[in-house]
Amino acid sequence: MKKSQSELPVFHETAHAELASALEMLAACKATESSNQAFGYFMHAKDEYNHAKSFFEILSNRAKRASIEEARDFRFKPPSLITKGYISKQGFLIETMKLKDFIAFVYTNELLAKSSFENILIMVGNSSEEGKIISSIMADELRHHGMAKKFFLNHYPALQPWQLRIYRMKETFNNRGRKIYDINLKFLDKLLTPLYKAMAYVAGTMAKKLNLNEFKREGKNLMNISSNSIL
Amino acid sequence: MFIGVTGYNHEASAALVDKNGVLVDFYREESLSRIKGDKSFPRRSIKKLLVTNNLKIEDIERVAFYERPLSAFLHIVKEASLHMPRSLPLLTHQFRNFNRSSVSCYLDFAKFFRGLENKLIYSDHHLSHTLTALAYSDSRKDICSVVVDGFGDRSTASISQIVDPTEINELWECLYPVSLGLFYSSITDYLGFAINEGEYKVMGLASFGDSNSKSAKLVRGLMDWDYASNQMISDMSYFDYHLSTSNSFSSKLEDLLGPARNPFNQLIPGDSDFQRCANIARGAQDLTIYLLGKIFTHAHKITSSRRFLFSGGVSMNSASIDHLAQMPFVDEIIIPPNPGDAGCAIGAAFYCYLKSNSCSDIKISKPSFFPSLKEKRNDELLTEQIIFNEFTFLERCEDNAFLKAAELISTGEIIGTVLSSSETGPRALGNRSLLCDGKNKYAVNKLNTVIKNRSPFRPTAPAMRYEIAKKFYKLRPEIYDCYKSMSATCKCLEDNISLEFPTTHVDGTARIQIVENNSSLDKLLSMLEPMGIEILANSSLNVSGDPTCFDLVDGLMVCSRTKLSYLLTDLGLLKRKT
Ligand SMILES: [Fe+2]
Ligand SMILES: [Fe+2]
Ligand SMILES: [Fe+2]
Repeated sequence: MKKSQSELPVFHETAHAELASALEMLAACKATESSNQAFGYFMHAKDEYNHAKSFFEILSNRAKRASIEEARDFRFKPPSLITKGYISKQGFLIETMKLKDFIAFVYTNELLAKSSFENILIMVGNSSEEGKIISSIMADELRHHGMAKKFFLNHYPALQPWQLRIYRMKETFNNRGRKIYDINLKFLDKLLTPLYKAMAYVAGTMAKKLNLNEFKREGKNLMNISSNSIL
Repeated sequence: MFIGVTGYNHEASAALVDKNGVLVDFYREESLSRIKGDKSFPRRSIKKLLVTNNLKIEDIERVAFYERPLSAFLHIVKEASLHMPRSLPLLTHQFRNFNRSSVSCYLDFAKFFRGLENKLIYSDHHLSHTLTALAYSDSRKDICSVVVDGFGDRSTASISQIVDPTEINELWECLYPVSLGLFYSSITDYLGFAINEGEYKVMGLASFGDSNSKSAKLVRGLMDWDYASNQMISDMSYFDYHLSTSNSFSSKLEDLLGPARNPFNQLIPGDSDFQRCANIARGAQDLTIYLLGKIFTHAHKITSSRRFLFSGGVSMNSASIDHLAQMPFVDEIIIPPNPGDAGCAIGAAFYCYLKSNSCSDIKISKPSFFPSLKEKRNDELLTEQIIFNEFTFLERCEDNAFLKAAELISTGEIIGTVLSSSETGPRALGNRSLLCDGKNKYAVNKLNTVIKNRSPFRPTAPAMRYEIAKKFYKLRPEIYDCYKSMSATCKCLEDNISLEFPTTHVDGTARIQIVENNSSLDKLLSMLEPMGIEILANSSLNVSGDPTCFDLVDGLMVCSRTKLSYLLTDLGLLKRKT
């Protein structure tokens, strides 16, 4: 039981990441001017949707065996794709990045995704049914990586493979940076929580005295209330 | 031009109304971001409104936000502050996220649409609901508006008298935290379904329950109507939604009803826990019907009105509308096709429009069910290679494509549609639908299970013309308009063959759709009727958990991800290559 519980966050987060990739590819498909590229992104998005589905299924199989309180935390709420940061508030990558950077990003991230799945593969066991699914997802990611590389070198022939490698190093570094930042943030959060709570306590004590009755609407013409007021 | 927007606390959307009071365009953010229930600032929707309609910031006279941001924030804080220290996590969350709450909508406008922030005004949450409903009403004067939802910016239910669109007097309100909408959501959550999405499932599940069971009676006792104060009352100790960010119900509710359901276990009729859950759902449904009855009775008492607008999330409880229509003082109930918070953008846009015109005889055009404009960009060019590689054209000419689709339906096939503009509301009315022969048990079952993966206790809606519906169902003229947008269920006629239809629920009801003249479904049915098919089963075109398809690419994607083989589009009828 313990083991299956500690695994839930891994599948939960991975499913989010895969679904976010699907949405990124779908957005790229709709944004492109080229029908050929649209087809490429479309098929890529379809793969990512399937990956997400597989991870959600694996999660579901394990969460069924977990305690109810634990399982309730791992329900999928679509808006958490944004609140967890898998999709940026600023927009999809294709909307916020130059095409060249976008392709390079896909190129490196597919490879990084594949390597992160290696750990999951160990977790579920190489030869299990789930292991087979994960192996085939890893093969997909490698194929996506290859496609992005081909696209990149076709469209930017002046760039050499070694330049892509620099992109990869940069992205690996950024990823690691993100992880460290995340860990620091969580640590800082733990440290600051008592302070936040104390502040909330003070603010709450003041809020107790708030009288919102003045803003009641009963008996009023709603069309006559100031349209500039936020209260 | 006037824009209305919603977001942050509830589903995000944006609507555009022109200087003649016509709803020109409307988008839900989830349609564009493909994230179901997307609550972020509706950046994509506003941008699309501007681009599709060829508008610049200068062309927009006013923008209205659908609620008063500070009021929404303070009501939650004030209530939580009364329950410290238990509510400290919620308070901490509220204060830490202050800059991400709707209070920052001014800043988001300034950031993404510079210039619009100076044109920003605010409407009351329930006024936005009321104005949305009013737009869909044929008469705009001397009518009563009932709004019942979870929580907006001050109350959780209200009654207003509409003298005319410039004089809307609020006469009664139910104050947060007592809330019929949040009660229903808490039960939804307790039963393991997602809040804001699983409420339909609870409603479907209720049909299997027994009102006289112990569980149903216990749930039925969680709220009541107090005749002395004419108010809804609730024992708040069973709920946590006003105290916590993560729990909607308290451990006391679990002590009362037993443990909450594990959301990952499928709920299948006949399983051990199924009947208990169904009885709990039944209790919630009974209580909802009872309290709505009380609110409408009170509304009639204080306004003397016999005609009602009904909106807010609770008005999506289609199973309770038939009961309301039977109340002796009800002549008419109008429910807009998008009565939830996303639809409030329409009301907010009309609010701007009304604020800019002061005469009481002001014109408002009744909006279409399909107001979202089609993108000018060429779908044909974009999808050329996707279609070439993955699909084949069965027919390209529109009439032939419809005829061929009708033939396929008559042989038991399922057809997806991506036709013309998309629907306003949460229900697919034919343009973004999955369709099959509504009397063919095998086809309906395949649609539900193989393609949609729907819960087995949620039936699919039957769609037909009015003349056909009369033969099978007990229709009520008071809610005729509701049938057009699938907003109300109705009973099958006694001893009628419709009781055997696969679209009929276990309690002998169906959530019918009466198709509008000249709509896509009307056209399809006109070709199907000579083939002996008069009823279509109609469900939204999406993979479960995703928003309904918006454009052709979304439709093609559903085909590619599921076992759906046929897609009827503006380009023609497509078949997926195997
Ligand atoms: Fe993937
Ligand atoms: Fe991938
Ligand atoms: Fe609302």
